[in-house]
Amino acid sequence: MTKKKVIPPEYIPDADCRTIIRDGIEYHEANDAMFTFYRRSMGELSPFFLALRDEKRVLGCRCNRCGLVRVPPFMTRCPDCNFAPTEPVEVEQVGVMNSTPPITYFATSMFQHMAPFGRGRVVLRGADTAMSINVYTTTGILVPGLVRKDTEVKVMFRDNRIGEIIDIFCVPTSELTGEQIEKKGLQESEIDWEAAVEPQLPEADEKGVTAYRETLKELRDIAAQMNQTERARKDIAGWKRSIRVKTTGGQFAMEIDDGQFKIGEKELEVPDFVMVCEDPRTLLDGLAYRGAITDSIITGKLWISKNIEFTTVFKLDRMARSLARAKKA
Amino acid sequence: MARKVGIVGAGVTPFKGRWVEKTYDELAQMATMSAMQDAGLEPKDVDAAFYGIYNDIFQRTCIPEHPLQGIIGLQNKFGIRISNGGATGAYTTSAAHAYVAGERFKTVLVLGVEKATDCFDFTSMSATPEVIKTIGWSGDSFFEQKIGWTASDSYAEVVLAYMDEHPGDLKPEVTAQISALLSQHVKTNPYAQRQHDQVTPEEVMNSRLVVYPFKELEICVYTEGAAALILAEEETAKTISKNTGQPVVWITGVGESNEHSFAGRNQKVMSRIMSDYLSSHRAYEMAGIEDPVQSIDIVELHDAFVHQLEISMVEFGFVPPGNADALVEDGIMTPGGKLLVNPCGGLIYCGHAVGASNIMSAWSARNELIKRKLRTALVHGTGSTIAQYGVCLVLEHD
Repeated sequence: MTKKKVIPPEYIPDADCRTIIRDGIEYHEANDAMFTFYRRSMGELSPFFLALRDEKRVLGCRCNRCGLVRVPPFMTRCPDCNFAPTEPVEVEQVGVMNSTPPITYFATSMFQHMAPFGRGRVVLRGADTAMSINVYTTTGILVPGLVRKDTEVKVMFRDNRIGEIIDIFCVPTSELTGEQIEKKGLQESEIDWEAAVEPQLPEADEKGVTAYRETLKELRDIAAQMNQTERARKDIAGWKRSIRVKTTGGQFAMEIDDGQFKIGEKELEVPDFVMVCEDPRTLLDGLAYRGAITDSIITGKLWISKNIEFTTVFKLDRMARSLARAKKA
Repeated sequence: MARKVGIVGAGVTPFKGRWVEKTYDELAQMATMSAMQDAGLEPKDVDAAFYGIYNDIFQRTCIPEHPLQGIIGLQNKFGIRISNGGATGAYTTSAAHAYVAGERFKTVLVLGVEKATDCFDFTSMSATPEVIKTIGWSGDSFFEQKIGWTASDSYAEVVLAYMDEHPGDLKPEVTAQISALLSQHVKTNPYAQRQHDQVTPEEVMNSRLVVYPFKELEICVYTEGAAALILAEEETAKTISKNTGQPVVWITGVGESNEHSFAGRNQKVMSRIMSDYLSSHRAYEMAGIEDPVQSIDIVELHDAFVHQLEISMVEFGFVPPGNADALVEDGIMTPGGKLLVNPCGGLIYCGHAVGASNIMSAWSARNELIKRKLRTALVHGTGSTIAQYGVCLVLEHD
């Protein structure tokens, strides 16, 4: 297995600087970082993390006096019982969500590759406390309503485990077979993950083609307005993407190039990603700030070929808001 | 018997998304100067500094208050830094209050400052993902940081747990109306980051989901700025007041609470913000307030998220659990209603310069009490994972 770097190289900028001018005065900015490396002690938590990595077991701790089982075993003495000692116990790998988990669509710079993802708290059978855990679905993008309070979930183990909390995540048991639910130490490679399949569009009729032509014209107008709006240009400063957009009435290209946004009727040979929406007005509404493109993806009205490109989608949504603000001003 | 403590001066810098023109040191000095001038004092008149600074990584130094002591002219005097997540500013004011009430000092400076958006993500070429990442280092380092913990998703956990218990409450059209209302309040705050960003409920509803169930226009914005207060004991406060001609606004109640950071049996009750309930009721008790609905005129609430604003108002006792939407539906916080909530625009529109935010809220509450000739305000701070920390202060104007 190739070992990863503790800081992925793509996050590290060049040693560089720039000058910004505000009100005719020059201000200096320097690329910089605070970095510290660790050999981090897992101390009394070591049995928990080693059990995840080596044995695919989940451990907790039980108070000798009150019997409360804490998972993960985040303390060795129970403060509710005047620091009575606890003992390690193994808990089951199926449980229920303590409450409805949030879903992160706009992630931090370290987690953009994971988005969208859920993070909730599961109370595993045999435990009294809830453990933070990532929540995924095997059916594509995690959307609100799929996992709620009391939804039964199964702990899954990563194929490559390193003795950290990221060695595990959970999926709803409703997406697994009985055999999979029963199996202890079920690994991610043992279940079917639905691959991203590009949706097929229906045949275009004359009405659809006309709607496409009209919408494309409006989209071009909006792109031109965005290019004249400083705030919108700033939203895509330093960003470059080419997007093939497929709709029932026809295809077109959206190109973002460091502050410039172009929409044109051409076929991109190697786009960065593909968007598919039956009705091009879905995208028009997004760029006209009549409903977010992000939300259209979540509700299934618009499909993107790479989840990592939510980053680009956020920028498009941001530009729509910037243009709307500029128009109001 | 503890001494009476009052606010005799206050000042803020403009809150901005980015201060290219100023360092964090300069912002701190600007707010200090403004507060001291407001109180008619000079550095020699102030006995001690209480620094509210949340995040070392934002400031890119691990003792971020150390250069400030001389920059604000308080060298060789007492200086202490308080850091309590989002509740840093309120906790700092609480600490300063305790030192003055306990007769350690007569006149002190409370100074909050934060410079967040120097953080920059070179992969997306934008600041916000790196700011969120930096806040993400505040989560539990063994069990939560590595699975994508953020302030937003941890508060969303609490909000969704509340919605699990009260499924008809926190309706999207109500949260949208509250955001739109705050955007109207901010129009009169010239120091606000979004003074001219008025939005309609429809625009809020149309804004994108960031972390379910939060939409972009229902979340506070990251801000750079500083805010400062001058607190003084009773006799000194009265003398200062005589000199400046401004009334003293007394801090008559203070309450704090830090909950458990884990959930489940005997741990945090996820559907409640007990830190808000306990801190507010402790502050009421100290101030002698029996019925907050009758006694309080202004609430300057730490609105990290609109949904959390509603739950906090439940915990403060203004609306019953399960009917937080009455804040709008019964007109409690709409124009002409019983309560004026976040006249500064709140952290969603004025901005969230973390360590400075609650101090800015106190600055606003004091100004509004004096300007509107009202009597009592509640100032609030919330912070840490799953709304773990809560602080409330009761301000009263004679």
